[in-house]
Amino acid sequence: MTGNKVYAGKRARSESMWGYLMIAPTIIGLLVLNIYPFFDTIKLSFSKTRPFGLYELRGIENYVKMFSSAEFWRANLNTIYFCILTVPLGIFLSLIVAVMLNTKIKGRVVFRAIFFLPMVVAPAAVAMVWKWMFNTEYGIINTLIGHKVNWITDPNIVMVTCAIVAVWSAIGYDAVLLLSGLQNISKSYYEAASLDGATKVQQFFHITLPMVSPTLFVVLIMRLMSSIKVYDLIYMLIEEANPAITSAQSLMYLFYRESFITGDRGLGSSVVIWTVALIGLVTAVQFWGQKKWVNYEV
Amino acid sequence: MKKLKKFLIPAAIGSVCILAAGCSAGSSDGKTHLTFQIWDVAQRDGMQAICDAYTEKNPDVVIEVQVTSWTEYWTKLEAAAISNQMPDIFWMHTNEILKYADYGKIADLTDLYDEEDPEFFQKHYSEVSLKNIQGSDGRYYGVPKDKDTVGLVYNKEMFDAAGVSYPDETWTWDDLCEASQKIYDATGKYGYMAYGDDQLGYWNFVYQNGGYILAEDNITGGFDNPATLDAMRFYIDLQKNDWCPDQNYFAETSPGTAFFSGQGAMFFEGNWNVLSEMQNYPDMQGKWDVAVLPKCPNPASGDGRATISNGLCYATSPTGKNFEVVKDVLRFFGSEEGQRIQGESGAAIPAYQGLEQTWIDVFDQFDYRLNVECFVDMFEYSVQSVNNKYRSVWKPEVTENLLKIYSGQLSFEDGMAAIQDCIIRAAEDD
Repeated sequence: MTGNKVYAGKRARSESMWGYLMIAPTIIGLLVLNIYPFFDTIKLSFSKTRPFGLYELRGIENYVKMFSSAEFWRANLNTIYFCILTVPLGIFLSLIVAVMLNTKIKGRVVFRAIFFLPMVVAPAAVAMVWKWMFNTEYGIINTLIGHKVNWITDPNIVMVTCAIVAVWSAIGYDAVLLLSGLQNISKSYYEAASLDGATKVQQFFHITLPMVSPTLFVVLIMRLMSSIKVYDLIYMLIEEANPAITSAQSLMYLFYRESFITGDRGLGSSVVIWTVALIGLVTAVQFWGQKKWVNYEV
Repeated sequence: MKKLKKFLIPAAIGSVCILAAGCSAGSSDGKTHLTFQIWDVAQRDGMQAICDAYTEKNPDVVIEVQVTSWTEYWTKLEAAAISNQMPDIFWMHTNEILKYADYGKIADLTDLYDEEDPEFFQKHYSEVSLKNIQGSDGRYYGVPKDKDTVGLVYNKEMFDAAGVSYPDETWTWDDLCEASQKIYDATGKYGYMAYGDDQLGYWNFVYQNGGYILAEDNITGGFDNPATLDAMRFYIDLQKNDWCPDQNYFAETSPGTAFFSGQGAMFFEGNWNVLSEMQNYPDMQGKWDVAVLPKCPNPASGDGRATISNGLCYATSPTGKNFEVVKDVLRFFGSEEGQRIQGESGAAIPAYQGLEQTWIDVFDQFDYRLNVECFVDMFEYSVQSVNNKYRSVWKPEVTENLLKIYSGQLSFEDGMAAIQDCIIRAAEDD
């Protein structure tokens, strides 16, 4: 009896050891590449950094400097503005695309592939092509509208330009996620509704929207996070010598600039920590707010 | 489970072995293997030629030339410096040399030629070249590689169309503006394209007018000096002319792109780009040429002539394990022979004095011979590229303020005061 028990314990231990071994590559990667740098960033945000990885702890000096800099508040406003421009519109358009792709139209598979394509293309390539299209003098967009709009260099327009590219790039991915949510809705609801005489529009608002709301919630959280973290797109579209740069500088762009161009990694790190806190806050508010509109009952 | 173990354990051991082998790969042939890191792919062949010349004489040394793009170069080099794994030899730029030298990450090479000739550096290299290899302590932290100047590139066809004679050494700022206006009137194309760049723009004008960007102490800015201010105002106001594109235009189209697509008649260009421009725009060959920079007609001081001259150097880590061999290689790189090979490859103008002709002769390969002598002629009155330890901090702020002046968000006076302030603040914050 006892022998058997010991054997079972040994076996369980051996299996859990194998379990750990199997997840080790991922966990080690996570620890070395994500967790450790995260705590290192917190440490750096309280330090005065010097070249070649040298630093000395200085308390909240960087945060004081950050909160008293006009540039930082401007970056916050720019980021919020970018979120307002991209998130509602992006999700609305993705939902429309998803609903349309969910109907029985000809060449549905081809359309799905086309909408997903921007996700597959490298963001740098996307930004490059858009930059040419937005060119004031020789771009196709100004040629088509027959009016010289400074898409990339006008401080009042530059964020709209970035938002257009961002929405375009994200629609496909969000639509595919929403589509998977839509396909889980049982057809019987629609049949029952149409028997009761509900129109298509009524069906959309009273069946589709509540039923897809859990997916919509996930998409909303992800889109908002990536909008707060926007960087690569702006970096590619806006050059350093662009007069509109102060109007396009997002929080992450400011981080890049402080850390890698100016070389002040301490200040850069405090911008990152602030952004992490901001994302945490926004996400917490969303989880609290979801009770009001997300429907988990099937 | 057993079967899995049998498979997994050898696999794990195997992969560890491969990793370890990858790290320790190398000198099993008894030779000294050196790595040489550069950022310009256009100069790879030239650098390889110098290395080949050295290894031919020293068959027990192997040098591998590695190219990394400019943007990645500095991130990589700093990471390598932190982990003490720097390449054996690498290019160093004046933007960064003070940082690396002051933190002891590059070797002091002042005594490199002492056995041969203690005065070697002073005899064969110009004062500007030697300033470009100095750390804050005035010692030499590299072997000069090349030197450059900025010249005026112009489109001959547009000058012909407007009936204006080509730029020459008698040209002043007034001629530059006058010709631009005539070309604009005759062809509708832009004249001189005054891009808000420092080295390829306003720095040249400031020094021509007798002003300066950094004061004698190398910490305070020169943006309260009347000569600097006059030149800055002149340069910024160029944009108000119809014949000059504004900075919005340059944010999307660089002056070089505009020039070679036939949109503008003149711009300032560094000599290091001219060879590749000849090669990359074959249709434009014969339609453009280069001249010395126009001078200031009524300078506050001096003769109105100046051009910014920069230069790279070869550097090495003070803690490299092949330090003695590397020093021998560097001695060769800085010798007349090493510098001659560099010039003949067309890579850049050798820093070694008296070898300028080797670079000029490279342009004989084209049907239309550019007047590249003008770049060499300008060394006589060239000014060292502006630099101090805090440049990386103040440079982005200066650019930002300048753009605000250009776009009218800041008045000229306030903008200049802000620039002056951020330069000194960069030093004080340290």
